[in-house]
Amino acid sequence: MGGNGFKYNLVFVWLPKLALIVLAVLWAAPVVWMFVSSIKPEAAIFTLPPSWIPRNVTFEHYQDAMQAAQIFRWFLNSAIVTVVATALTLVLNAMAGYAFARIDFPLKNLLFVMVLATIMVPVETIIIPLYLQFDAFGLLNSYTALILPRLALPLGVFLLRQFFLGMPRELEEAAFVDGCSRFRLFWTVALPLAKPSMAALGIFSFIGTWNDFLWPLISTSTSRMYTLTVGIATLQGFYGTDYGMLMASAFIASLPVLIVFLLFQQHIVQGVAATGIKG
Amino acid sequence: MSQRTANPSGDSIRKARKRDALSGYAFIAPYFAALFFMMVYPILNGLYISFHEWDILGVPDFTGIENYHRLFTDSVFWSSLRNTLEFTALSVPLLIILGLLVALALNESFRGRSVFRGIFFFPYLLSISVATTIWIWLLQNRYGLLNYYLREFGIAAPDWLNSTTWAMPAIVITTLWWTMGFNLIIFLAGLQDIPEQLYEAARIDGANPWHCFRHITLPGLRRIFRFVIIMQVIASLKIFGQVYIMTEGGPFGSTRVLSMYLYEQAFTYFRMGYASAVGYVFLVIVMILTFVQWKIMGAEERD
Repeated sequence: MGGNGFKYNLVFVWLPKLALIVLAVLWAAPVVWMFVSSIKPEAAIFTLPPSWIPRNVTFEHYQDAMQAAQIFRWFLNSAIVTVVATALTLVLNAMAGYAFARIDFPLKNLLFVMVLATIMVPVETIIIPLYLQFDAFGLLNSYTALILPRLALPLGVFLLRQFFLGMPRELEEAAFVDGCSRFRLFWTVALPLAKPSMAALGIFSFIGTWNDFLWPLISTSTSRMYTLTVGIATLQGFYGTDYGMLMASAFIASLPVLIVFLLFQQHIVQGVAATGIKG
Repeated sequence: MSQRTANPSGDSIRKARKRDALSGYAFIAPYFAALFFMMVYPILNGLYISFHEWDILGVPDFTGIENYHRLFTDSVFWSSLRNTLEFTALSVPLLIILGLLVALALNESFRGRSVFRGIFFFPYLLSISVATTIWIWLLQNRYGLLNYYLREFGIAAPDWLNSTTWAMPAIVITTLWWTMGFNLIIFLAGLQDIPEQLYEAARIDGANPWHCFRHITLPGLRRIFRFVIIMQVIASLKIFGQVYIMTEGGPFGSTRVLSMYLYEQAFTYFRMGYASAVGYVFLVIVMILTFVQWKIMGAEERD
C-alpha cells in the first residue's frame, strides 16, 4: 500500500474511515441518549440545549418504572416463553430435520414440500384463525398461547436437514449395522455433530421469540401475561410524555440484551449470519 | 439409497426397512403436530373465515366472496396498500445500500473492527418497543434531539410523527437504525466467502479498489444480494410494530400499513371475516412480489 499517492489514500482509505466513524457515532447516539435521559431530573429533560452529561443524576425514573410497571413480571414472562420455545424448537426441528435427511419413508418428499411451502406464509395471514383457536380453548393469556405457534416455524427444519444431508453416511452405517436403534443413532452420533448448527438456530430462535411483537400483543390482554416487548409498548400509551420514566423502562429492558451481547458477540453474530433470515 | 446390512436375508432387510420408515414418522410427528395445528389448519381456517361475515360473538354468516369484493372498492384498503409499498420502496434500498457500504468498510482487519460491528448490529437485538420508545423521544418536536440539531444547522425541523408528510420517513429512519445491522452481518459473511486471491491477482494487475468492487465484489455477492433483497422486501411488507407503537397508523391514516389495517379490522372493529380476507390478500401480495423478484434476479444470474 506504501506506493499509493495522497489522492488515492484520501479517496479509498481516509474518507471511508471518516464516514464509518461518523456513522458509528450516529448509530450509538440513540442508545447513549436513552441512558442519559433516564438519569436526568424531569426539569433537565425538558431543557434546551440538551446536555449529554447531566449536571444532576437521579434514579427516580427507575423507581417510577419499577413501581408503575410490572417490568420484572414481564421480564419473567419473556424469559420463560423464550427459553421453553427455543428448547422445544431445537428438539422438534432437529428430529424432523434428521428424519428428512436420513430416513427413508413413504411420502417423505411430499411432506417436506409441505414444510417448505409454509416458509412463505406471513404470520399476518394466520394470526386471526390462531387467535380464534386459542380463544375457543380458553387459552388466551397463557404461556401455552405464547409458545405453541412458534414451534411450527419451518426454518429450523430446513436448516438442520441441510446440515444432516452433509453429514458423512459412514458414521452412521457402522452403528446401524450393529443394530443400534434410530433414536440412539440420532442422539449419540448425529446430534453431537450438529452442535454448531443447533447453536446458530438456538440463537436465532431466541432473538426472534424475545422480540416477537404481533402475536404476544394479540394473544395477551392482561398486564400480568404481557411479554417485555408488549409491556414496554403499552407504557407509551400510559406515560406518553414522561420521557425519563420511558427511557428508564427501555434501559431496564435492554440491559440483559446488552450484557448477553457483550459476552457473546462473536457467537451471536455468527449464529445470525449462519441462519440469516429475518424473523 | 439402500442400507447395507450384515444380514443377507431379504426378508429381514425388508423388516428393518419398514421399522426404519416407522421411526421416520415418529421423528417428524412432534414437529408435524405443531405444523398442523399452528400453521396448516389456521391457513385453511383463515380461508374459510374469509368467506364469512363474523363479529366473533355471533355465528359466522356465509357471504361467499363478498369480503374480497368489498376489499377492492375499499379506499382505506388501497391507501394501506399504497403506504405499505411506499414504506417498502423507501426502506429496502436504504437498508441494503447502507448495509453493504458499512460491510465493505468493515471487511478489512483494523483495530476496533468488532467494536464497530457491535455498534451497528446491537440495535437489531433490541425489541421493537425499546427501539421505538427511544425514537419517539428522539423525534419529539420541541425537545427531541434530532430536531434540536436540525435547528442548529438552520434546517426547518418538522413535527415528525404528527405530520402526514414526515411520519412515514420517520418510521423509515427508525427502521433503518433498528435493522440495518442485520443486513450488514449477512453482507460481511458473504464478503468473507470471496477468495482473497482474486483481489491479490487484481491488485498485481494494477486494479484500484473501485475496479475490485465492480468486477470482483459485486459479482461475488450476487447470491447474497438476491437473498438479502428478497428477505428485506418481505420484512418491509410486513411492517407492523413501528407503526402500531409510533403513530397507530396516523396522522390521518398517512402511515396505516396493511398489517395495521388488518389489526384494526380484527381487533378494533371485530370484523373477523373481512380481516381474514385482508390476511389472504396479503399472502398473495407477498407471494407475487417474491416470485417476480425470483424471476428477475434468477434471469440475471444466468448471464
